[in-house]
Amino acid sequence: MANYFARHQRRVMAQSSGEKTLYRWTRDFHLYLGLFVSPFVIAFAVSVFFLNHAKVDTSASTTVETFHDLTIPAGLESARGREAVDRARDIVSQVGVTGEIGFVRYVPNAQRVILPVSKPGVETVVEVDVSKRAAVVSRRQTAILESIAYLHKSPGPHNADLRGNWFWTRVWRWLTDATVYLVLFVSATGLYLWFAMKAERRIGLALLGAGAVTFFGFLYGLAF
Amino acid sequence: MVSPSNRSRRLGLVLETWNRKLHFYLGLYFLLFLWLFSFTGLLLNHPRWALSRIPNEPNPPYERTIDPPIGDSDLVRAEDVMRQLGLTGEVECPPQRPGRFDFNIAIPRRAVQVRVDLAQRRATVQEIERSVWSALRISHTFSGSRYNNPTSSRDWLLTSLWVFAMDALAIGLLVMVLGSYYMWYRLKPRRTFGWIVLFAGFITCGLFVFVLGWR
Repeated sequence: MANYFARHQRRVMAQSSGEKTLYRWTRDFHLYLGLFVSPFVIAFAVSVFFLNHAKVDTSASTTVETFHDLTIPAGLESARGREAVDRARDIVSQVGVTGEIGFVRYVPNAQRVILPVSKPGVETVVEVDVSKRAAVVSRRQTAILESIAYLHKSPGPHNADLRGNWFWTRVWRWLTDATVYLVLFVSATGLYLWFAMKAERRIGLALLGAGAVTFFGFLYGLAF
Repeated sequence: MVSPSNRSRRLGLVLETWNRKLHFYLGLYFLLFLWLFSFTGLLLNHPRWALSRIPNEPNPPYERTIDPPIGDSDLVRAEDVMRQLGLTGEVECPPQRPGRFDFNIAIPRRAVQVRVDLAQRRATVQEIERSVWSALRISHTFSGSRYNNPTSSRDWLLTSLWVFAMDALAIGLLVMVLGSYYMWYRLKPRRTFGWIVLFAGFITCGLFVFVLGWR
């Protein structure tokens, strides 16, 4: 065991000062950026099990409330896309709901507008009766794992024109992008730090090769 | 004679060495999987990017005469039709109309709609072929199961293997992260700043996981 660390020490000492500086800076960036991004990696990793294996009854509401005398924004029924979401936000605020509006669906026969609103921990459906200026708000509290799974999927690829209509969804999108870039940086620096350890190169290459064979095997089955 | 304190010290060194080795062994084995999910995660986050678009132009449909599907469930009947048509993939059966048996088949590189006229014994097959790039992006979310749809379940072997790979990557990442906490904590000169960045990471992530739901 002592030999292992001695070998590592000798290798660092054998480097030129430029190499040593690069190695130390790389190691420190790998460490600190890895520590910062680690809670996000934990959240994404844990939610994988929920997304792959869990089953949730999403039809059961925790609370149902009715609101009256709402101010219905003009043109809500005919508005489309982001404009409809902006007008719907006005109603959502009146009934004390916050979160990302999934879509705006107008049911002409019933003169109703359906607004699903999501955020970590709560799934809400606001059903607005335009003619009576009333709204029924159904809330479903979600468990912690479902909240993390919601974040894992947020903002998601669907309804691109509408996504990010809540401030915190836009912040989360920025954070998830940052998580990806940091994970790529940490993995690239990890490669460099591994390659600097000559004693570990052979077994490392074998594992890299085994991973590549598995990866391309899946790629062949799924994508070709 | 080895004293108990020497023995525990030696055990500690062995664990420390193997924790370090495991950190980069797992990282090297899962590297390509991690890069795949990172890149496709970016694409899912930015559906307006040109690279994120998934073409949905169907090929011209074709028809085949088939034997009436046999089986005691929609899934078994769909598998019988798929065997006759030489198709494979993850099956999704919508509610059926009288005289018809319709279902969809999904694999990342292809989406297939099968519409069977039971009286005519004719199956109409419509395929949407996808590029390798699109298939990669679809594979990020390809699990054959949706948590908010209790009726969805995996029925294709390759989907189950892919889900196993996703689970394994998640476990590997958790082991790497937990192991890295130990390695960092053993580096006394880097503890203080490490605590600061780790705390910043947990506060930022925790704000979304725990706090936003209460507002």
